[in-house]
Amino acid sequence: MSTVTAPPAATARVRPRAKRDRSLFVTPVIVAIIAIGVVTWINAQDFTVPGRGPEGRALDFGSLLTQFGEHAYLVAISTVVVVVVSIPLGILLSRSSASRVGDAVLAVGGFLQALPALGVIILMAFSPLGFGAPSAIVALVIASFLPVLTNTVVGLRAVDPSFIEAARGMGMTSGMTLRRVELPLAVPVMVAGIRVALVLNVGTATLATYIGAGGLGTPILSMLKLGRSDAAFAVAALVTALAFFVDWLAAVAERLVRGAGG
Amino acid sequence: MSETTQIVASDHTGSTARPMIALEGVSKTYPGQDRPAVEELTFEVPEGNIVMLIGPSGCGKTTTLKMMNRLIEPTTGRIILDGDDVTAVNADQLRRRIGYVIQQVGLFPHMSIGENIAMVPKMLGWDRARTAARVDELLHLVGMEPGQYRDRYPRQLSGGQQQRVGVARGLAADPPVMLMDEPFGAIDPITRDRLQDEFLEVQRQVAKTICFVTHDLTEAVKLGDRIAIFGAGGRLRQYDTPDEILTNPADEFVAEFVGGGAAVRRLSLLDIARLQLDEVVISATDSPAGPHPVLALDDAGRPDRWLHVPGCDVAPPLVTVPLGGTVYDAVDVMLDSRAPLVLVLGGDGTSRGSLRWDAMVGDLRAKGHGA
Repeated sequence: MSTVTAPPAATARVRPRAKRDRSLFVTPVIVAIIAIGVVTWINAQDFTVPGRGPEGRALDFGSLLTQFGEHAYLVAISTVVVVVVSIPLGILLSRSSASRVGDAVLAVGGFLQALPALGVIILMAFSPLGFGAPSAIVALVIASFLPVLTNTVVGLRAVDPSFIEAARGMGMTSGMTLRRVELPLAVPVMVAGIRVALVLNVGTATLATYIGAGGLGTPILSMLKLGRSDAAFAVAALVTALAFFVDWLAAVAERLVRGAGG
Repeated sequence: MSETTQIVASDHTGSTARPMIALEGVSKTYPGQDRPAVEELTFEVPEGNIVMLIGPSGCGKTTTLKMMNRLIEPTTGRIILDGDDVTAVNADQLRRRIGYVIQQVGLFPHMSIGENIAMVPKMLGWDRARTAARVDELLHLVGMEPGQYRDRYPRQLSGGQQQRVGVARGLAADPPVMLMDEPFGAIDPITRDRLQDEFLEVQRQVAKTICFVTHDLTEAVKLGDRIAIFGAGGRLRQYDTPDEILTNPADEFVAEFVGGGAAVRRLSLLDIARLQLDEVVISATDSPAGPHPVLALDDAGRPDRWLHVPGCDVAPPLVTVPLGGTVYDAVDVMLDSRAPLVLVLGGDGTSRGSLRWDAMVGDLRAKGHGA
């Protein structure tokens, strides 16, 4: 798993708007095709075959919707926590006075990132938080904060010093320089990190079922136990569609933010 | 241990401008270095002047400039801006009163040209209408059509255009003082020359007090009312008018820095209007062989060609130079077309006299001895 996400800043900035619009249009279509396909396939399955009762229960729409909701909740909360923690921390670490501390923190972050997500999730169940969603969220945060932190630090450090000199030279305070110049210029790199964290979280959240936190991992696991790998695959496709969709939402948000920043 | 360098600008122009920027005993020692980058500098910039700071690399000229708006805080000494001691005032507030232009321009890529220029007025709390009017006025001033450029982004502009906007941004809040750190240093020679001319034209209109760091002596001579030459360790070696520095270097260091070519550089300081021009005879048809050159006019009454030039068997090609030009321009056109003389034209395109190569060289030598 790579710890540094390549900053797409340069290419993203010069990419013509029309092309970007088209790519933003393609993702929802793919997501819709996958979702409709999975739903159609599940509808076509006969889950009432005698002796196959549990399978029908695991894949009925009511429980699937609930599990989808649990999954989205885990991803949303953990990503919000990651953003709220990592971005301010990244800003602090990017200040030139903290450059040594920054390198040390990034090294520790790299170590945490290297821990296997399944292990972290199960270990968290033995923490005071116990089994359930809070433990799963903490584990997801540990597994996905590094791309956001790294990209915040890298994005801010990569801002051309001449912009900062010009800003300070015209009388901007350090806070104004950060808000009006440094952060807007670092946004593409930072958003790339957030998108990586989101997609990581969508995938890792399937493991939350092992500690009773629900999510789309639950039907996948039960289908595998029943030997219905085709049904497990269908649910996994739903997870993939969710990852695509969430990444697409982030791309849309990125465009809105950049539009507001000029 | 430190020797005080105290040089007050000698006033050849006879103006009585008061100092707009004054440094009093300013030193800067960077942390971890035992020798100061700038040492006990005392230095005044008169109001409305362009002062060029020049010297070899590491001489402290940029440090000196950045201490004026306290981007670099002096270790000791006082900075006086327009009579006020600004050594300890809020540095951010101070910088909003001082224009600042840097070599890399530093236009914010995520803001339009108009937004870039409007930054400082916004910080100073100008209302929308006043800011918008100021942006358009400044774009006009630097020769860019506001309707065409206001809403563009920096990356859509050439390097020369970007630096024009950089200058406009520095001027945005109409600060009395501008600090410029090699603003034309990264621009190709042809564009740089044009930007320098435009810069002088802008300065004629705005009459700011300007401190300008350069490493290019030609630029210093062309733009500066005064030149401050810095030596190693941030010592001011000479602070005087370009003419005086080229003619009478204060010491060995300055003489070596100004180097060969000083005489040629001085030509660009000598206006043709200050020279005695030779008489030119205007004739319609015949070419009498007299002591003066004879000029033929075309049908519209404009100078057309030489009919006779004393000392030449065949009349040389006609080359002209405007009366407002410098001797450098005259020498340039004569060398270019291998003409032994050049016709000086007034603003209306009529002959004002001629300059002969041999006589002009003699003239210059005579003036050089007189100074």
